[in-house]
Amino acid sequence: MARQKSLSTTAISPNDLASRTLILDNGAHTIKAGFSSHLSSTPISTTACHVIPNCIARSTRDRRTYIGPELTTCADFGDLAYRRPVEKGYVVNWEGEKAIWERGFLANAANAANNDESGLGCDPAETNLILTEAPNAPISLQRNADEMVFEEFNFGAYYRTIAPALNAYAPSPFPSTTASPAGIPLECMLLIDAGHSHTTITPLYHGRPLHPAIRRLEIGGKTLTNRLKDLISRTFDVHREDHLVEEIKEDVCYVSPSFTRDLERTWKGGRYDGREVDSSVVVDYVLPDYEHIKRGFYRPHDTDVMNLRNRALGIGTETGRREHVVTLGNERFTVPELLFTPSDIGMRQAGLCGTVLQSLDALPEGLRQAYLANVVVVGGTSLLPGFVERLESELRAAVDEATVIRVARAESPVKNVWMGGARLAADEAALRAVMITRQEWAENGEGWVRRRFVGKKGR
Amino acid sequence: MATGPLRFRTPHIEELPISQSRQSAGFAWVAVSTAQDDPAKNWGTTNRKRARASLGGQTEQQKEALSARVQRETERKIKELNSDNSRDVVIDIAKKPGQSTGGALKAGKTTGTKKILASGKTFAHYLDDEEAEIARTGRRDGDADAPAAAQRASKTPLARRKPRADSSASHSPAPLVAPMAPPPIPRLPTTDSSAAPIPLDGLDDDDDEEEDDEDRVPRMPTSVEMDALLNAPPLTYNQARSAPPPAGMPPPRRFCETCGYWGRVRCLKCGAMTCSVLCKDEHDQSRCLKMYA
Repeated sequence: MARQKSLSTTAISPNDLASRTLILDNGAHTIKAGFSSHLSSTPISTTACHVIPNCIARSTRDRRTYIGPELTTCADFGDLAYRRPVEKGYVVNWEGEKAIWERGFLANAANAANNDESGLGCDPAETNLILTEAPNAPISLQRNADEMVFEEFNFGAYYRTIAPALNAYAPSPFPSTTASPAGIPLECMLLIDAGHSHTTITPLYHGRPLHPAIRRLEIGGKTLTNRLKDLISRTFDVHREDHLVEEIKEDVCYVSPSFTRDLERTWKGGRYDGREVDSSVVVDYVLPDYEHIKRGFYRPHDTDVMNLRNRALGIGTETGRREHVVTLGNERFTVPELLFTPSDIGMRQAGLCGTVLQSLDALPEGLRQAYLANVVVVGGTSLLPGFVERLESELRAAVDEATVIRVARAESPVKNVWMGGARLAADEAALRAVMITRQEWAENGEGWVRRRFVGKKGR
Repeated sequence: MATGPLRFRTPHIEELPISQSRQSAGFAWVAVSTAQDDPAKNWGTTNRKRARASLGGQTEQQKEALSARVQRETERKIKELNSDNSRDVVIDIAKKPGQSTGGALKAGKTTGTKKILASGKTFAHYLDDEEAEIARTGRRDGDADAPAAAQRASKTPLARRKPRADSSASHSPAPLVAPMAPPPIPRLPTTDSSAAPIPLDGLDDDDDEEEDDEDRVPRMPTSVEMDALLNAPPLTYNQARSAPPPAGMPPPRRFCETCGYWGRVRCLKCGAMTCSVLCKDEHDQSRCLKMYA
């Protein structure tokens, strides 16, 4: 998709909306970016959404710095040091973020080749922007974001919202709910966004968040990765290998439905009562060496010590090269257990189920049933197998028997916020209701703009 | 920069006992005059370990002193787990050769953006700034500034000011939630539910049957209440944090440091838990001495 030229020869009047909207789900781990237009009637699909790593990485082996989308061109992920402009869910380092945005999708003469391939080049003055951020941002960060978007990038019109709110516009993951057309939000939704930096619980009403009830659990994918790093480093030091441990976490970790039972199965026993370790849970993970093995993989644990030694020396492996193997037993489910029991590492916060109940307590009692029946889970961390089942069983145990509980994960947890934004942008009426143009920002000032974004109507 | 009262990040504020001697793990000072002053059990406090066990355990103060240090340690570990950048990396964004107006473009187009791009503030700075501003003015700008303006310019130094009742710097969500919660649910006849904006078919049936019961189905909030909820200002970062679990829950679980199973035996020197003799041996060889090295 080449850069779309402006259809009219004159510039778009400052008070009017451009034809295309760029939806940017600015996450701490990745940016989900794509275009949507309220003028075209093609249905929106997730293929229009591009996932860009939101980081600046320096590889000491290549001595190269990879910014944003360049990371896909990296051949050797070993010993990669990351720096993220988004801290705790909010953009703190605009210098880094600007560099990533420029390479990702802003039209730039030096990057024209890259952009045309991915189809994301755009001219900000002719594009509307929907930007997401995490809830409960400090005011100065909100102010900075507004100023950067208008002054530095010169977008024509802009809407900044908290990421959970856009999910109400995405199609509902519950099979029994009737599908709503683009632009109409779902009525009641309790959204659990299990993201990279933290997990947020947001009740939404017709697409608008109920602010007094938003709660945040400070365990996210990042915490799990770091914890897994510590646990693996007991046998093999991986403190400097962020990318590798993330891959291991995605491949191997799961949420156990019954923690105590699984822990028993993976115990090797004491001195006097040695036990047989359950091979269905314990796995051997073969580490990539980025020469022959590009991506690690795992296989069931091989208890024969001789086999392990041979493979480490390179005898009997497929490629004939040495294999480095890490055995992962209870780390597989102990790490995601942190989401449900943060006190395991000493964190004084309630687990996911407890936080959901806290959020519900802040709502009037009549709404509890409505929200418990519409729990939607999004976010990369929710891709862990067993997450939804465990959450549902914990909620079931904590809540009155008569209440109906429905928990569902969105079809594409990573791109769901983007889908919601795209559907919102596809409906002109809804779009006009929320967009703020540059002229309005210049006239009314940043305080007014900020209040508008939160949802206050009127002065 | 305004200095507000000190705010700790932890949800609880623990009172550290002042008159406590420095402790090292493995033994505890036992005050002679504790609850049980039975001379028969008190073998002359030279044998401190037995005395500690026999005199009904440590006092509350001693437990808290030990746990304050441990708590600091766990706080540090959690902060490390939640840190964004794995180590202190300084990665410069290399200037791409061939960029048209390299220097000027990089620095930002207006003075405001130049400042934002050049600022090296981290999230902790922004959070502290916001907390300081709330402590100073009572509310962050833009939202209810009326109460701050109405107050006479106070001459009390900041340190001595009592926290305002409606200050939003409180850490637990509960106090702020109280004014937002709807009034206690009155016993309304079912016809009043027509005022509710949310039709849920299932509940109407129940209302007919259980109208006279004590545990009736809760009433739907009216549109006025919903508006109040929707227009409520967003919480601050600290208020939205999940609160600690209620005190009745079981104590945090401890795991073996070596293998990850349940921790059953505690190392006397460093206080780490291991599950079995094998793991304990391994801990003694490799990990325990590191504390002292």
